[in-house]
Amino acid sequence: MSYALVRVRRLDIDSFAAAGGMHPDVIRKLVALGILDAAADSAGALWFGPDQLAALARVQRLHAAFPLNYAAIGLVTDLLDRISVLEAALRRARRPGRG
Amino acid sequence: MAGNRDFYQILGVPRNASQDEIQRAYRKLARAHHPDVNKDPSAEDRFKDISEAYAVLSDPNTRRRYDAFGPDFRQVPEDVDPEDWRQARAGAGRTRQGARGGFGYSDAGDIDLEDLLGGLFAGRGGRGWGAVPGADQTAEIDLTIDEAFHGVHRSVTVGSGSRARSLEVRIPPGVTDGQRIRLAGQGGRGSDGARPGDLYLIVRIAPHPRYRLVGRDLYVELRLAPWEAALGTSVAVETPAAEAKVKVPSGTSSGKRLRLRGHGLPNPRGRSGDLFAEARIMVPPRLSKAERDLFEQLAAVSDFEPRRQR
Repeated sequence: MSYALVRVRRLDIDSFAAAGGMHPDVIRKLVALGILDAAADSAGALWFGPDQLAALARVQRLHAAFPLNYAAIGLVTDLLDRISVLEAALRRARRPGRG
Repeated sequence: MAGNRDFYQILGVPRNASQDEIQRAYRKLARAHHPDVNKDPSAEDRFKDISEAYAVLSDPNTRRRYDAFGPDFRQVPEDVDPEDWRQARAGAGRTRQGARGGFGYSDAGDIDLEDLLGGLFAGRGGRGWGAVPGADQTAEIDLTIDEAFHGVHRSVTVGSGSRARSLEVRIPPGVTDGQRIRLAGQGGRGSDGARPGDLYLIVRIAPHPRYRLVGRDLYVELRLAPWEAALGTSVAVETPAAEAKVKVPSGTSSGKRLRLRGHGLPNPRGRSGDLFAEARIMVPPRLSKAERDLFEQLAAVSDFEPRRQR
């Protein structure tokens, strides 16, 4: 019995920082603030899923536009995500009995 | 109105607004139209206009030059003093005044907004970020049941004003209400050549005079005469695809649902929806003499008690 290897696309912190155009130290800070999600391996190195690049881009856009520090941006992104979830639920609720 | 370049109007402040007022107006508008807050595709353009207006008006020096020279102030050499220029113009006679509603500037070529704002997100405050990908956007698309059934080519306009763009979208057969259609790379623009975000079209299926849609199932009213319902019959029912025959069994009461399997909306990944014909018994509003006699006979003969059932 053999299993196909599933390649998980993930980035180490240096390639993630390079792809996002930021210094790895800032990335570490964003992880520490819980704004970016990263998995730490047994050696303590951080690994990032490709979806986190979009999350980082949003942080950059918000940071460029508003005088917010990174901790406040964490709150803003959490609220925006919750609003998205609620809006989606509202859309579903407006149409009863969808199959 | 291609490109309204009056920065005061964009921020909604009077021309004599204080710097505080300008900042307050900008902060409010930026919060409302930031592409990560407002998913409407036109919000991004509004946000760029707002940011550009603020970038110019928040600096007293550029604001003075903008007031004097108008939107093309960047093309006036730096060493032209706005005050001298104004006096010189006043002396030369105000022939051009009023041509553009209050300003007297000449309309010498347009500045390229993309050039100005290419580094909008990346460059502000000298943080020196590289390219930042664009935000995702959402827009609604209204379809009729027939369009959802058969699929349709639609041209969708997103954005507003001079920067609106039109997309040719192929809606496949069998989309459902509330479904999201992802148009990769059609969302907000990225800065410095970074990849754009995605545009999500949310399908809205408009109410139909005959059909009611629940998921992929269609409900249609099937009107029957009392004798058709009692004796059974075969009735033609219109469906979005073609006419279909519904066999009404004898003893059908109002509210009974007759299923036409697979005659609802198609499902590209699985079983099609069903069509339900809902029986509704109609009685002639006015009876002829013969009809009345027959109904009276029926009433005398029948021992059917509809209210005792269940």
